[in-house]
Amino acid sequence: MAVRGFDEKEEKKSYGSVFLLGSSLLVALTLWSFWDDNITRRPWKKIQTEFYRLDYRKARAAYDEEDKKLKADSSYQELVKKLSAEQASLKSGELGKKLKTLHAEEVRANVRFTELDQEVKFVKSELEEAWYEHDHAVQQGRNAKPYQDAIRELEKEKAKLDPELEKGRQKREQLREEIKKLGAGIKELETELAKMTAERDKWLRVMENASTTLKVQDLKLFSLYKIPSIRQVVLDEFDRNRFDEPVARVDRCQTCHLAINRPGFENEPQPFRTHSRREVLLADSAHPPGKFGCTACHDGQGPAVNSVAQAHGEVHYWEFPLLRGAKAQSSCVSCHLDVQRLQDAPLLAQGQRIFEQVGCTGCHLVKGYEDIPKVGPSLRRVSAKVDPSWMVRWIENPHNYRPHTRMPNFSLKEDEAVAIAAFLWSASKEEGEKWLAGHPQPAGLRDGDKEQAARGKNLAESLGCRGCHGFADGEASTVLGKEKEIIPNLKNIAAKIGPRWTYYWLKNPRDFSPATRMPSLRLSDQETAAITAYLMTLGAKAETIAGLEERLNDAKNAQRGAALVRKYGCFGCHDIPGMEKESRIGVELTTFGTKTLEELFFGNRTDIRHTWDDWTFNKLKTPRIYATERVEQVMPQFNLAEEDIKALRVVLAGFRETKVPHRYKADQSQKVAQVAEGRRLMHQYNCIGCHEIENRGGFIRKYFGENPSMAPPPLNGEGEKVQSQWLFGFLKEPIPVRPWFSVRMPTFGFSDQEANLLIGFFNGLSKVEIPYAYFDDRKVPKEHLDAARVLFSKDFFNCLSCHQQGERKPEGPPEGWAPDLNLARSRLSSNWVIKWLQDPQKVQPGTKMPSFYPGGPDNVLGGKDDKQIEALRDYIMMLGRRGSGAEGGRTASR
Amino acid sequence: MKKTVFLAFLVAVLAAMPLSGLLAYDGGAVSDGGSVSGVVKFKGAAPAPKKLEITKDKEVCAKSGKTDPSLIVSGGNLVNAVVSITDIKKGKKMEPQKVKLDQNGCEYKPHVLAMAAGSSVDILNPDGILHNVHSYSKANSPFNMAQPKFKKTITVKVDKPEVINLKCDVHGWMNAWLFVAANPYFSVTDNSGSFKLTDVPAGTYNVEVWHETLGKTSQKVTVKAKADSKVTFEMGK
Repeated sequence: MAVRGFDEKEEKKSYGSVFLLGSSLLVALTLWSFWDDNITRRPWKKIQTEFYRLDYRKARAAYDEEDKKLKADSSYQELVKKLSAEQASLKSGELGKKLKTLHAEEVRANVRFTELDQEVKFVKSELEEAWYEHDHAVQQGRNAKPYQDAIRELEKEKAKLDPELEKGRQKREQLREEIKKLGAGIKELETELAKMTAERDKWLRVMENASTTLKVQDLKLFSLYKIPSIRQVVLDEFDRNRFDEPVARVDRCQTCHLAINRPGFENEPQPFRTHSRREVLLADSAHPPGKFGCTACHDGQGPAVNSVAQAHGEVHYWEFPLLRGAKAQSSCVSCHLDVQRLQDAPLLAQGQRIFEQVGCTGCHLVKGYEDIPKVGPSLRRVSAKVDPSWMVRWIENPHNYRPHTRMPNFSLKEDEAVAIAAFLWSASKEEGEKWLAGHPQPAGLRDGDKEQAARGKNLAESLGCRGCHGFADGEASTVLGKEKEIIPNLKNIAAKIGPRWTYYWLKNPRDFSPATRMPSLRLSDQETAAITAYLMTLGAKAETIAGLEERLNDAKNAQRGAALVRKYGCFGCHDIPGMEKESRIGVELTTFGTKTLEELFFGNRTDIRHTWDDWTFNKLKTPRIYATERVEQVMPQFNLAEEDIKALRVVLAGFRETKVPHRYKADQSQKVAQVAEGRRLMHQYNCIGCHEIENRGGFIRKYFGENPSMAPPPLNGEGEKVQSQWLFGFLKEPIPVRPWFSVRMPTFGFSDQEANLLIGFFNGLSKVEIPYAYFDDRKVPKEHLDAARVLFSKDFFNCLSCHQQGERKPEGPPEGWAPDLNLARSRLSSNWVIKWLQDPQKVQPGTKMPSFYPGGPDNVLGGKDDKQIEALRDYIMMLGRRGSGAEGGRTASR
Repeated sequence: MKKTVFLAFLVAVLAAMPLSGLLAYDGGAVSDGGSVSGVVKFKGAAPAPKKLEITKDKEVCAKSGKTDPSLIVSGGNLVNAVVSITDIKKGKKMEPQKVKLDQNGCEYKPHVLAMAAGSSVDILNPDGILHNVHSYSKANSPFNMAQPKFKKTITVKVDKPEVINLKCDVHGWMNAWLFVAANPYFSVTDNSGSFKLTDVPAGTYNVEVWHETLGKTSQKVTVKAKADSKVTFEMGK
């Protein structure tokens, strides 16, 4: 009878094959998971092994090379021979025998010393005990006498033992010394040898570092390349999470980029290449990779090591892909306040200059760039300034008239341009007419006077106008980016403006437009008239557009124009009456660098790759490229060169709101901030048009080919050279330091704040710590003055052969003259004078001031150059004392 | 004493520079060498000598009348041009010279001075007034040294081949040229405009004329052993 639930057939069935299959699957899976976990998902292990192989191979080759060199070196051979002979002798020869006896003696001496030492220690302990008993007895009022006796006894014993112990010690030391002396020869040879082989043995350590050796005591079993391990840098509090709490950043890039901070891998393929400019960029004073990691500058996905694409963050939805090459410059701004000074971020510096000066901030708000003044001229009185027909054409497309102007093209239709012109005309009418009423047709102007125009041309060329303006095609001083001109080229200026306005503008630009950056050249009436006459010969008067006046006076047009001005945000760059309260029309760009693809509007464009880079590039190249039928875009065309767009893109990529902790940041002091701010002001007033500053600029110098000494002086190191209080006065009201110049330092009308900012800029650049220093005449020794008078004289340095002193002018033509020494007292920093006298060429390469030192005369101040230089300085600093040189100069000013 | 210290310093500075120019040329004994000689003609009408205006230190500088030395033509030939072989690699021994440049009367004499690289120039100031020697050089490091009355001689060493303009900023008209040659084959045309290069190993060479205002011109010249090759150059504005 069958038992319920019992199936004999079932019982007899074998599941062996199933188990076999199951267990083999389990084994296979286990093996696979092991494989997957250790090999497939850890590609860096292979990379590291590869690197260690490379490292080892290179070190081996270098070692062999050095070894070959050493083996060929006879002095090395000799040293090795000497050493081994010495060693052999020590082992089994004469020396060896001596050493053996010495060692035996030393052992005996040591035993003797230890015994004595022990004894002394016992006596000392007994003494302690006796003293205790003695004190105890005294305190209890018992008889202390027996203890006193015991103490005396013990002390006697100790006194006997002490010299013996000392003798024992000396004996032992003497023996040790002798043993050491025997080995000294060898030690010396060894150090000498080590010095010779240092270069070679260095590679031995490198090889050891790249490999692991299994050892049993001293026996090497086998070596293999180092076992790979993750290398990570943790940047504490570097990032912020979504709750704005500081979190650590983990950076594992150096797991694969193992040689990033090691020399010698410059020509290896990535990831094993040395960082470019490693000595500078990765120096301990800059960005040591152990502190900063790599992602601080290069972005990417720091903790990822499972694939190259993941690690580099070049995968979907990772928002910070690797910044390669020049693009890494966009990270500099996160920590550096003044990026213009960074030698290794030229693209960023260039981009920042373009961003600040081309007018981006007129429409776009960016934190840190809020205070940049409007880049265009004020239109408050424009009706009194320009020709209306010119104005319409200009608004329609400014690039037709001036291809390199900063003003962008808004691609307006003719009727739109007329409408805007009509609005501007009506808005500026009242102010314009008032101004015109106060400025009648100037009397000195003679229409068509060729002689006057020629004189004007001469003046324009000699006074320094060309430090800013071009007067012909292709003539330019400071160029922004590749070809943008920040100051108008005047080659056809007569089409734009008339003689009346020009005259008063030249005479005093701030009278017409109080905020203009055009300075006054302190022109006389005749000079002004001549230059006006010259300018009116440049180009022809604009062709009048028929019926324009009527259209400009049409109120409907003006109304439409006002709407267009609001739409296109013209007030971002121009001061327009009635639009003072309008705000920027563009989007804020403070965090533009961190915009994700979802936030960028590509319109219907399918031909543009969906990356931040491509979007931004195309936006700057063709600003309305993403417009669709439904979405209008108003950003105008700037006509920027491709390299300028790339530079701007680096700046834009740097617009991220990062909160990097202070310890990672570069100098953020007030001084650095002042340099950056002062430089901005310096750019605004185009000081570099005439002066070389920070080794950049001085563009006017090209017109002084034959006579570079007549060109405006370079101002590299000006902060260190002149006294701050003098510079302040000079900036506010320039005096001719070199009266023989035909070129004139203009009066810019700087506010106190601006002048102080510029001084802070120069002082910051020169690292001037103490801007105000007092020169104390009373501390000048008399012998200095006597000596300096001799050195100053005709028979010695004959300083006045070239230098002016007050009213006393040097002989010869003015090109050969040098500044008034009476000015030195109020103008020059006394420490700078010393530096200057020591080596003028070092302070200002190419200067006409020759070096008088080294090589001063033997018979003055004991022939000591330093003393003579000091004496000359003291004398020069005292020259202006009586004659009040500064005042003399000031009255000579025009 | 001071002067020697100064000169030692200068020499050290100049010697620290690699002597690449010297290394390119291999000098030794030349037997059966030929020579190149001839004149440099001036094309066109000889310009009238321009008088230099002496504007400074007249009591010393205006003692003798001075004419502009930048273009001197004598009998239709060019004076102060330098003729040299530019492509010779092997030839007579190149020996550094010690040459003199005098500033007597606020005028450099000679106006054009040619020498082999590695030579030294003694610049003399017998005038008893302040001069300065300002060099406009690129390959050799430029200098601008004052030479007051008490400094009778300044010595400078020129290690690299190039043409160096010397000027005195105190006396704007003073102007001299140092022609530093890469090999020992160079000659300044004399007062009759003629030159001669001797001990030239047989072969064909590029012979070049340099003049401060007229620039350069050159010719291929074949030199035969123990023979003189006559060459005439012509230069004009």
